[in-house]
Amino acid sequence: MRSTNGTEVGALLWAVLTALRVTFVNLFRKPVTVHYPDVTRKYPDRYRGLLALVYEKDTGEEACIGCRLCEYVCPPAVIKVEMLKSEKRNYAKTFTLELYACEFCELCVQVCPTDAIVMTRSFDMPTTDRRDMLLDKDRLHAVGLQHQPSWATGNLLRDMQGPPKLARAEAHAKKEEEVKTGGPA
Amino acid sequence: MPSWISPIIAPFIVLNVVIGLVTYVTLLERKFAARMQSRIGPYRVGPHGLLQPIADAVKLMMKEDVVPTLADRHVFNLAPIVFLIPCMLIFATIPFAPGLGVADLNIGILFFLAVSSMEIVGLFMAGWGSNNKYALLSAMRAVNQIISYDLPFIFSALVPVMLAGSLKLSDIAAAQSGMWFIFYPVIGQLAFIAFVVSTLAAENRVPFDILEAESELVAGFRVEYSGMKFALIQLGEYAHIIGSSFLGALLFLGAWAGPGPEWMGPIWFLLKALFLFLVVTWIRWSFVRIRVDQILALSWKVLLPLTLALLVATSIVVVWRQSAGI
Repeated sequence: MRSTNGTEVGALLWAVLTALRVTFVNLFRKPVTVHYPDVTRKYPDRYRGLLALVYEKDTGEEACIGCRLCEYVCPPAVIKVEMLKSEKRNYAKTFTLELYACEFCELCVQVCPTDAIVMTRSFDMPTTDRRDMLLDKDRLHAVGLQHQPSWATGNLLRDMQGPPKLARAEAHAKKEEEVKTGGPA
Repeated sequence: MPSWISPIIAPFIVLNVVIGLVTYVTLLERKFAARMQSRIGPYRVGPHGLLQPIADAVKLMMKEDVVPTLADRHVFNLAPIVFLIPCMLIFATIPFAPGLGVADLNIGILFFLAVSSMEIVGLFMAGWGSNNKYALLSAMRAVNQIISYDLPFIFSALVPVMLAGSLKLSDIAAAQSGMWFIFYPVIGQLAFIAFVVSTLAAENRVPFDILEAESELVAGFRVEYSGMKFALIQLGEYAHIIGSSFLGALLFLGAWAGPGPEWMGPIWFLLKALFLFLVVTWIRWSFVRIRVDQILALSWKVLLPLTLALLVATSIVVVWRQSAGI
């Protein structure tokens, strides 16, 4: 028996019953919703959240040297840095980040030579005023203290992704030499 | 108590109970739909979202009432009321327990069917008065669909009428004290399925919701309405659905029949109606919208012959039953 549009009536009925069964089974499943402000999910290790500036771990100085690499690489051009020349090392005189236009691509983190700018495992910056999203140096440091930084920093990423460094190449050459001569010299 | 008091008090009570019921049925539907999609649904307003309907009502009351410049003001303003009145009137003939109802007419089911089709007038006024192409298209589709599905709706509702031998709703309910009509072999089940499908279409619910197909017509005939007028239209729509659920529970599920003492009757009736409402919601969240030509083909080529054949079969059964003296 065929219905008016040429489909088997049996197949149609089967489809109808299958659809009803799927929704019925779903009715007794546990909801997947997480009550966000009350319960926070654990974020992945390399979460691309809010951007932050960090201090150096051993000296406690701010890690940014104001080299402006992040400003050059930023696709939407939301980072503006001015360098402050100093004797021993340079500093960032100003560092502003327009978070409302940031596209969270992580390129600034990848190029940072001193691991100064990182992403944190949080997106917790709701506001009703657009101007609150214009982050200056102090606020970026504050975000770094507030939230847990993500796993990725500039040097770690370059080690992982970039071509082998000289030291690694030398070690490799030495190993091959050992294989050729047979055992350590 | 003088006899003139009851006709004044009863509609007042029924109207308020129905409005309260309809308000909370929206929450029930939202919770039920959410669980079908592994969500939670309204949760924040009150414990487990129990105050959500009240918050919604307050929000709708405080909204700005916008009337389009080029709308036909009188028709536009009158339409929600014309839409709401038939949807509320259908509760007039439903007996919620033996002798407990506004008016137990001896042509009760005829009144119900006639009045419930009258909502189409308000619906078309809304579509026409809005002076909006989406609203007008939607209203025309609605008229088309409701006219097509009235016949199967009436024919399937006539099966219990013939089995009970009366048009009076309380008689139909009383006739099911032995066996609910849905358990009547073959005839009962087929008539029930036809009834559910045609009520779905008459209520313009998914999968027959071409008149408010969101991707095509935005919100259908109520696209220009806001604030309290929108609330009235929503109220009418849900009242119609609940009314049809009560009618289905009365025609097929034995109305107030159920275990327990006699005062449990209305509670059983309510539970059965809510069960039917949940079935309708279940269907709504299981299917996609079907095409206009498929909707009409289902009505004229499948449901109409099926329900006509059912009517003939039912009359044969009734005649045979009389001659056999069962």
